[in-house]
This record gives sequence, structure tokens and C-alpha cells, in this order.
Amino acid sequence: MSDERKIFRFPIAYRVEHWWLVISFTTLGITGLVQKFAQAGVSKAIIGVLGGIEGTRTIHHIAAIALMTEVVYHLGAVIYRLYVRHYRPSMLPTLYDLRAAFQTLLFNIGIVKNRPQEGRYNFENKLEYFAVVWGTIIMVITGFMMWNPLATTRFLPGQFIPAAKAAHGGEALLAVLSIIIWHLYNVLVRHFNKSMFNGYVSEELMNEEHPLELADIKAGASQRPVLPQRIARRKQIFFPLYGVVAAGMLFGIYKFVNLEQTAITTVPPAENVVIFAPYTPTPLPTLPPSPTPEPTQAGSTAQASGPSTWEGGIGAIFEQKCSGCHGASTQMNGLNLSSYQSALTGGQSGPGIVPGNSDGSEIMKIQSAGNHPGQLTQQEIDLIKTWIQAGAIEK
Amino acid sequence: MKRSWITGICAAWLLAGLVVFTGKASAQSNPPPPAGSSKDDACLACHGKPGMETKLPSGETLYLTIDPGSFHSSVHGAKGYTCTQCHTNITSYPHPALTAKDRRDVTLQLNQACAQCHKDVFDSQTNDAHTEARQAGNLQAAVCTDCHGAHTVTPPNQPRSRIPQTCAQCHSQIFEKYKSSVHGSALFGQGNPDVPSCVDCHNAHNIQGPSNTQFRLFSPQICARCHANKELMNKYGINTNVFNSYVTDFHGTTVEMFQAVAPGQETNKPVCIDCHGVHDIVAVTDATSPVIKQNLLVTCQKCHPGASPNFPSAWLSHYEPSPTHYPVVYYVNLFYKYFIPGVLGFMALFVVTDAGHRIAKRGKEKHS
Repeated sequence: MSDERKIFRFPIAYRVEHWWLVISFTTLGITGLVQKFAQAGVSKAIIGVLGGIEGTRTIHHIAAIALMTEVVYHLGAVIYRLYVRHYRPSMLPTLYDLRAAFQTLLFNIGIVKNRPQEGRYNFENKLEYFAVVWGTIIMVITGFMMWNPLATTRFLPGQFIPAAKAAHGGEALLAVLSIIIWHLYNVLVRHFNKSMFNGYVSEELMNEEHPLELADIKAGASQRPVLPQRIARRKQIFFPLYGVVAAGMLFGIYKFVNLEQTAITTVPPAENVVIFAPYTPTPLPTLPPSPTPEPTQAGSTAQASGPSTWEGGIGAIFEQKCSGCHGASTQMNGLNLSSYQSALTGGQSGPGIVPGNSDGSEIMKIQSAGNHPGQLTQQEIDLIKTWIQAGAIEK
Repeated sequence: MKRSWITGICAAWLLAGLVVFTGKASAQSNPPPPAGSSKDDACLACHGKPGMETKLPSGETLYLTIDPGSFHSSVHGAKGYTCTQCHTNITSYPHPALTAKDRRDVTLQLNQACAQCHKDVFDSQTNDAHTEARQAGNLQAAVCTDCHGAHTVTPPNQPRSRIPQTCAQCHSQIFEKYKSSVHGSALFGQGNPDVPSCVDCHNAHNIQGPSNTQFRLFSPQICARCHANKELMNKYGINTNVFNSYVTDFHGTTVEMFQAVAPGQETNKPVCIDCHGVHDIVAVTDATSPVIKQNLLVTCQKCHPGASPNFPSAWLSHYEPSPTHYPVVYYVNLFYKYFIPGVLGFMALFVVTDAGHRIAKRGKEKHS
């Protein structure tokens, strides 16, 4: 910057207000837009960081209270400056602002040689300011409606609530995008304007954006002359009145927040039903028994004279009648009748089959006694007995 | 020529390996029945006789007679599975003494046998509502055989109306409500294959119920499986926008966010069933439907006790705002549809021309 001379533009009170607004606005913007675009992945990530949707809403509500409190302060500050201090109403839009905007456009595209001559607040500043005023009014009204839908629908049709949500979301999108496009471009991109950081702007920037105010400052005519006694008297009128108005507005904010409890805080009662209600009497665990079918005749496939070897049919009798308990997988009491060798070995009580000695074979002892689970028929017993006596041949 | 011969051998070897490998895998997860037939004759020689029973320490009678006919026509019996494949503790005769104190204990002990073959299903039940109830001390909570039967297992969904009747054994009150609902009456009345039975919402295994927060938060998506399915709903002329319109409205956005961000956390915002009814849900054409206009205020007041007659239309009732439905919402949206780009375009016009002017000026200064 060639010109190092600086002009004081914003006292500390203005700057505090600005950052108060920045913090509450940014918080509202982030916590609000993630709700408007809740389906987006980035929204879900942000909501997760902010402690879930209820946490996000709580932050949004706190920021809303901060913004409304700023409105109460700002109203007092504006009236104080205009009424008590007799500042010029430099923010009021005039017809000249329209011409200034038009001239700026013509200047930008090179049709006219000079920028418009503007004062303390140029048309860009005024557009910005009244956009914030308009936006805040819309947001406070629609925010109230969503925060207090029961109270609102006592006076307005129900569809005003979703309409309020639509306006709140549309206005939010407009506000955030216009801050980025308009405000951030004007104060950060085209110049880095430090006036909201330290209160000062360069004379060069003043000359470009606020030439009339710069001329007034140089002429020592930026403030209207006012008598200190007059200020003191107007203060005596202003402060009590503003105190009442501010108290009223703060009470309004309090009611805004606490007007109604919209919904119950417990989970809605879904269904009134006893969950475990068995039919009585409880059915028996098994169906009523029916007579056992006639056991099939094992070994009936063998020749009339009877099988003479293990592989020729004797093994099949054991497989069919005994392997449920004395098969390869179960081997009850150590007895496995699935193979010739293991049948010979027998189980815990001794050798199952002793070739040539049916009385010494454990299988014959148990079967002859009768009543064994899986009792063989007499015909089967006879077949096996004959086979053992003949030497219990395998093949 | 020789080379292709070697390749052929390699391929055959690999194929054989694959066959052996896959064969083994299925055998491991599901042991086949032993070869042959009538393996159970030995057991049935006694247990097929009527009147077999024993007294348990609790004083209850344990019935020990099996109906061979119904066992052999069950899925296990028909495939030749034998008694001892489930009754694995019966390895000798006389049988080992019963350790169960009562009949329920017998069932609970034997239930472990199902895991031998049905391990995946068995293990999927760790968060199951019945498992949790049992772990909390309610031994009546169902195990495999309570629903499937023990000796009489047949496909549980044939016919499909058998499913709710199975659940009804313990949940008779819920069943009575379901039977009269739009879903239940279609299942029992017309044998409708599209309506949900119990397991379509609650799962067959790993059953989830409303006491589970995650299930509640997830439940709109269960409804959406059918109600957002255009093909299915077209058959009945039902609007499929119900899920999307729910999610974009006040309640649904919150529930959806809870589900996405904190699925274990409770929210009191309603899900579908809170307004439409749960097991006794009826069509919106039914005069008793809690969500039709004349009944809606009462439904809203369940959660919003202070609601006045205007209040219910604060909910868009699944409508897309239009000039006829919710016109105020429609026109607000329309306004912002043009207002936002209008204002931003106006601003952008100044920003772009200003930036262009400055870039051009800087370029000129450099050249001169």
C-alpha cells in the first residue's frame, strides 16, 4: 500500500458488535445448513462432531439467542447514535445509492471514468446492512414459529409451520451465500480491509470507497457539532426509555425460548399389549404317541437258506438294526458293528462275536436275553447264530 | 501336443482337488445322516411305545414317547437323521441319568444340539430378543424347538400363514391385533404373498423388538423396504414417496440423523408405527386409521398434548407441497427458488465486473 496514512473508521463498540454477529451468524449457518441438507455425508459428519442432531440443535438455539440479544443491543446503539449523539443517518438508503450502484457497474465495465462519490456507507455497505436486517427479521419470525408450533397454530393455519421451515432454510442459504459472495469479496478479496480488526482503514481505501466521508474528515466536519448539555439531557430521556424497551425485548427472547413445551419428553406410547401372553393350556412338548409300526424284517433280502458270510448279508442286518447306537459314529458302550473286524472285537463287555462259539459271543448273549433296545427278531437271531457256528466267515 | 496333455492333467488335478475341498466344507457344516435306513428302530423299540414317561425332580412328567410317523415325515426324519445325532449324550444303555431339573431345563439342554449343524443361525442369535430375555432370567423365552418343534420339524413358512401362528403361541395378544391389521387380514384372508408376516419386520432369527433403540430408529427403513418399492406398491396403488417425505419432514429428519449418527441413542421423535399403529395397522382408507384427517389431531396429541385443531396440518402428511396441497409452503419454496439466484446473481454481477476491472487495471499498470 503506497499511502500509509490511516483513517479511524470503527470504534471498539462497533467492532465488538461485528464479531458478536460473526460468531453467532457463523454458528447458526453451520448448525442450520447441516440440518437443511441433513442427507449429505458432510452434514452427518459435522452433526456427529457436534454431538448428534439434538446437540446441533441446542448449539443452534444458543446462537439464535446470542443473535437476538445482539439485535436488542444494536437497536439501542443505533437510537443512541442518532438521537443522543445526533449522528447523520448515514446508513439510510437514498435514491443516490441506486445511481451509485449503476455508476459502479458502468465504471467496472469501462464505460465511465469515475467511481461514484459516496459517503460513510456506500451502496455496497447499505445493501449488506439491510440484507442482514431483512434476513434477521425473517429468521426470528420463522424461527419463532418452528420453536413454538403449538402457539403459532393457535393463530395461524398449520401449514405456516412447514412454510416457516421453507423460508428459514431458503433465507439461510441466501444469507450464507451472499456473505461469501458479497461481503467476503468486498472486505477480504478486493482489498484486505482491516477496519473490523483494528478500527483503521488506509486513506487510499477511504478515497476509493468513501471519498465524501474522507473529505469531511479532512475538513473536520465528520460529526455534527452538538452541545454537551444537550447530550446529557437526551441521555436522561434515552436511557430510561431504552431500559424499558430492552427489558421488554429480553423478556420477549425469554418467552421465545420458553413459551411452550411442544412435545412430551418420553418416547411415544406405541401399543398397549402384553408381549408374553402364551395360549393356555400349553401344548405338550411332543405329540400324543401312536402305535409303533411293525419293524421291518432285516435280512429278508438274503436267500432262503440264509446268508453265510458277513458281506453276504449278516453285516447288513447289523447295519440296519444296530448301527443307530452301535454304528461307527455313536459306538454305544464301545461297540461298533459297522465292520467285521470291530464286530469281532466287541465292546466293553467282551468280544462281540467268537467264531464257532455262539454262546460265547456277547452279541448272542444280549440278544438271547431279549428286551434289548433294538431287539432282533428270532429269525435274525437264528441267522446270526448259524453264521457264527459256521465260523463267522467274512467273505 | 505334449504340452496340452500336461495342461489337461493339471486341470483335472485341480478340479478333483476343488471337488474334494468343497465336499469337505459342506460335510463339516452339516454332518450327513448315516447311510442306510431305519437307524432309529433301536430307540423306537422303547420310545415308540405309548406311555413312556419319567418324573423330573420338579415333579413334572417328562413324556418320552415319540410318534415315529411324525418324526419320519419331519425334515430330519425324512433325510434319515437319527436320534443320537441330536441326543448326543445317549451313548450307552441304560442311558445316563437326566440332569435336568424340569421340563424347560430338558429343552434348554437339548437345544444346544441344534448348533452342531445349524451353527450360523445359532450363533446369529447373540443379540436376539429371546436370547437377551433368557439371559435376563426369563427361561420361557423361546429357543429353537419352541418355534420349530423338536421331533416334528417341517419348513416353518409353509404355508406362510404358519409363521404368525407360531409366534402366537407366546405372543397371542399381538397376534390377535396383527390378524385384524391390513397386513394380517390380507395374509389370512387372501393368502397375500406381499404383506409382511412377523419375521419380515422382526427377523426370524436374531429377532429385534421395540425395546431395542436401534430397532426403533431403523424401523422406518423396514417399512420402506416395501413401501418405497414402486413395483410392489403399484400393485396396490400405494404412494411410494412416503419414506422420502417422512425423512424430509421434522420427525423423519431427526430420526434419520439419530439412526445415522447415534443409532444407540433414544429419541422421542415418532417413527412410522407411532402414528400409523403397530401390529393393528390399518389402511388409510379405513375410517379407524389414526392418521386420516378426522383422527389425526388425537394422534398428534399423544405427543403434543397442547395441539389445537390447526396443528395437524403443520405436518405435510407425506404430501409434496403443490398449489393445491399446502400452497403456502409451495409458494414460499417457489419464491426462494427465484429470489436466491436473483439476489446472488445481482451480487455476482458487481463482483465479477469489479474483479474484471481490477485485473485489467493491474495488467495495464504492468505494461506501462
